[in-house]
Amino acid sequence: MKLRLVAILVAGACLAASLAFAEDNAAGRAAEAKATTTCQDCHGPKGDSTVATFPRLNGQQADYIAAQLKNFRDHSRSDPHAQAYMWGMASQLDDSIITELGKYYGGQTPTPPQSGGALAAEGKKLYLSGAPAQNVPACATCHGAHAEGNSIMPRLAGQHADYLKKQLEAFRSTLRENDIMHANTKDMTDSQIEALVSYLAND
Amino acid sequence: MSHRPGRAQWLLRIFFGLFAFVLTGLPQSALAVPSFARQTGLACEACHTVFPQLTPFGRVFKASGYTLFNTQKVEDIDRTKQSTLSLSDLPPISAMIIAGTSSVAKANDADSSKVSTDFPQQASLFYAGRISDNIGAYFQLTYDDQSGSIGIDNTDIRFADVANVDGHNVIYGVSLNNNPTVQDLWNSTPAWGQPFISAPSMQTPAIPGAQIEGAMAQIVAGLSAYTFIDNSLYVEAGVYRSALQGQSVANNGNTTNNIISGVAPYWRAAYEWDWGKNSWEFGTFGISAALENPTTPAGNAINNSLQSAPTDRFLDAGLDSQYQFIDDETQISIDARWTHENQNLDASYVAGFASNKSDRFDSANLIAGYYWHRKLGASLGFFAVSGSNDPLYLGTASGNSNSSWGTAEIDYLPWLNVKLGLQYTAYMRFDGASSDYDGAGRNASDNNLLYAYLWLAF
Repeated sequence: MKLRLVAILVAGACLAASLAFAEDNAAGRAAEAKATTTCQDCHGPKGDSTVATFPRLNGQQADYIAAQLKNFRDHSRSDPHAQAYMWGMASQLDDSIITELGKYYGGQTPTPPQSGGALAAEGKKLYLSGAPAQNVPACATCHGAHAEGNSIMPRLAGQHADYLKKQLEAFRSTLRENDIMHANTKDMTDSQIEALVSYLAND
Repeated sequence: MSHRPGRAQWLLRIFFGLFAFVLTGLPQSALAVPSFARQTGLACEACHTVFPQLTPFGRVFKASGYTLFNTQKVEDIDRTKQSTLSLSDLPPISAMIIAGTSSVAKANDADSSKVSTDFPQQASLFYAGRISDNIGAYFQLTYDDQSGSIGIDNTDIRFADVANVDGHNVIYGVSLNNNPTVQDLWNSTPAWGQPFISAPSMQTPAIPGAQIEGAMAQIVAGLSAYTFIDNSLYVEAGVYRSALQGQSVANNGNTTNNIISGVAPYWRAAYEWDWGKNSWEFGTFGISAALENPTTPAGNAINNSLQSAPTDRFLDAGLDSQYQFIDDETQISIDARWTHENQNLDASYVAGFASNKSDRFDSANLIAGYYWHRKLGASLGFFAVSGSNDPLYLGTASGNSNSSWGTAEIDYLPWLNVKLGLQYTAYMRFDGASSDYDGAGRNASDNNLLYAYLWLAF
C-alpha cells in the first residue's frame, strides 16, 4: 500500500517535472526561433554581429542579457540606440522568453579579443590594476580576470571596439544611466578609454 | 491688504501656464511616426539613413514582408494551435504632405509664370504594415495637386517567410505590385531612386526614359517571386500585365495605348556585401515588354482595335550599384544606375511615326549624398540620356533626345520625419543641343530650376 503510494507520488513528481521541462523547452524553442529569425537581422547569426552599432551577443552573460532586455522593456535604459531600436523590440517580450534568450546567447561561442599592440598593453594594465589617479578601479574585479563577465556584469572581451567605446563614453556622460559605471568612468580620460578598448575588443 | 495677485504673480502664472502647455502640447516623438515605426516600435533610423533611403536592416524588414511587429495584437488559433489571425491593435496608417515652390530660369512660354507654388504638391495616405504573420502591404493613396485628383500610388503586397537551409538564412516571398522595381530593396533602381522628390511636372521638361523608369508606374500589375539569402544574395523573377485603373479611365482621354501584350517578364539579381559600417550592392535588372497601340515621345499614337493592335517591343537591361557608410555621425550614400533599352519599333515605323525600324536608348545616373547626424545633408547628382537619331519618333529639332543635367541639393531635418530641402537642377544639354534645342531659341539652361520643399511624414 505504502509502496503504491510512493510509486504514485514519484510518478506524479516525474510528470510535473516533465511538464515543467516541456514548458521550458517550448520557451527555449520560441527564444531560439526569435533569435534566428529576428534578432539576428541586426545582431548577426548566433549573435556574432558584423556591425558595431549592434553589440555581439555570442557568449554574453545570460543574466546580463536578461537584465538589459528588461531594462529596454521598462525603459530604464534610455541611451539613444536603446530607444531607437530596443525599446520596440523588447516591448512585447515576456519574462520567460527573456530568460531563454539570455540562455541561448550565453551558450554560443564567444568571439575572442584581437591581440593588440602597445595601446593594448596599456589597456591591459588599466584593466587589471585600474588607475587610482582617476578613481578608476580595476575592471577585472567585477568583469573577471579575462573580461568574461559574471552574472549581470557583462563579458567585455571580444565586443565591438566602437560599441565598447560608445558605452564607456555614455556611462561617463550619463547618457546611459548606471550609478556604479558612472562612478567608475566619470574621470576616465579619452586615451584611457582607447587603451581599454584596444585591449578588450575585436573589431 | 489685497489678496488679488500682483503683476509679478500674473506674469509667473502665464509663464508656467505656457511652460505646461509646451510640455504637454508638444507631440512626443514616439507618437508622431509613420506606419512601420508604429508597428515595430523602431525609430526611423533603424530602417532608414534618412527617409526614404533604406539601411541594410530596412532592406531585411522589406524583404520579410513588412511583418516585423512589436505591438499588441488581436489573435486567434485553431484546434491544432496554429495561428489563424494576428492583427495589430494599432492600424499601421500614416500620411505625408509635400509642399513646394519652384522657379525656372526662363518661363516655358509667354503664358506661363516662372514661379510655381504647390500647397500641397502632394498628400498621401498609407496603409503600410502587416496583414498577417506572413503577409504585409505597402499601399499608398495620393492626392496630386497638378492633376487635382486622388489615385492609387505605389502598391506592394507581399507574402514572405524565412527558412534556415544548411545554416543559411533564406528569406523567400512573393510580391504583387503595380510598378516594376517598387518592390526592390535598394535605392539605385528606378522606383525608389533619386531624386526622391522633384518639382511638379509643369515646371520640369519632359525627358524620355526607358520603359522601366516610370512609364509603367501604376498602370500595370505584376507578380514576382524572390529570395534574399543571408541578407546578401537577392534573386527575383516575375511578370507584369497592363492594368486599367479607375483613375486613368477618368483622366486619360485614350486608354487603349501602351498595353502590354500578354505579359512582360521582369528579372532582378543583386548581391550586397556588408562589412563594418559599410555596405555595397551590385546588381542587374530588366524587363521585356511588347506594347500594343504604342505612343511615341513625339506625341503620336496608334489607335487600332485592341483585338488586332500592332506592337513596339522594348527590352530593358540595367546595371545598378549602391554604396552606403552608416554610423551615428555620418551617413554617406552613392547610387549609380545604367539602363540600356533596345527599341523594336515595328508598329511605329510602319505607321510612319518612326524614322528607324529599331533604335537604342541609354539612361544613366550617379548621385552621391552626405548627411551629418541625419540632420543636415548635401547631395550631388549627374544624369544623362542618349539614344539613336530618330526625328520622327522623338520629335525634337535635333532628331535625338540626348540630354544631360546635374542636381545639387541641401537638406535640413529638424526632426527625423520632417525634411526641408533646396534643390537646384542645371541642364547642360537638352533634346540634343545645349542652345536653341527647340528651334525657337530655348536653351538647355533655360530649364534650370530652383526648387524648395517641405516634406512631412507622420
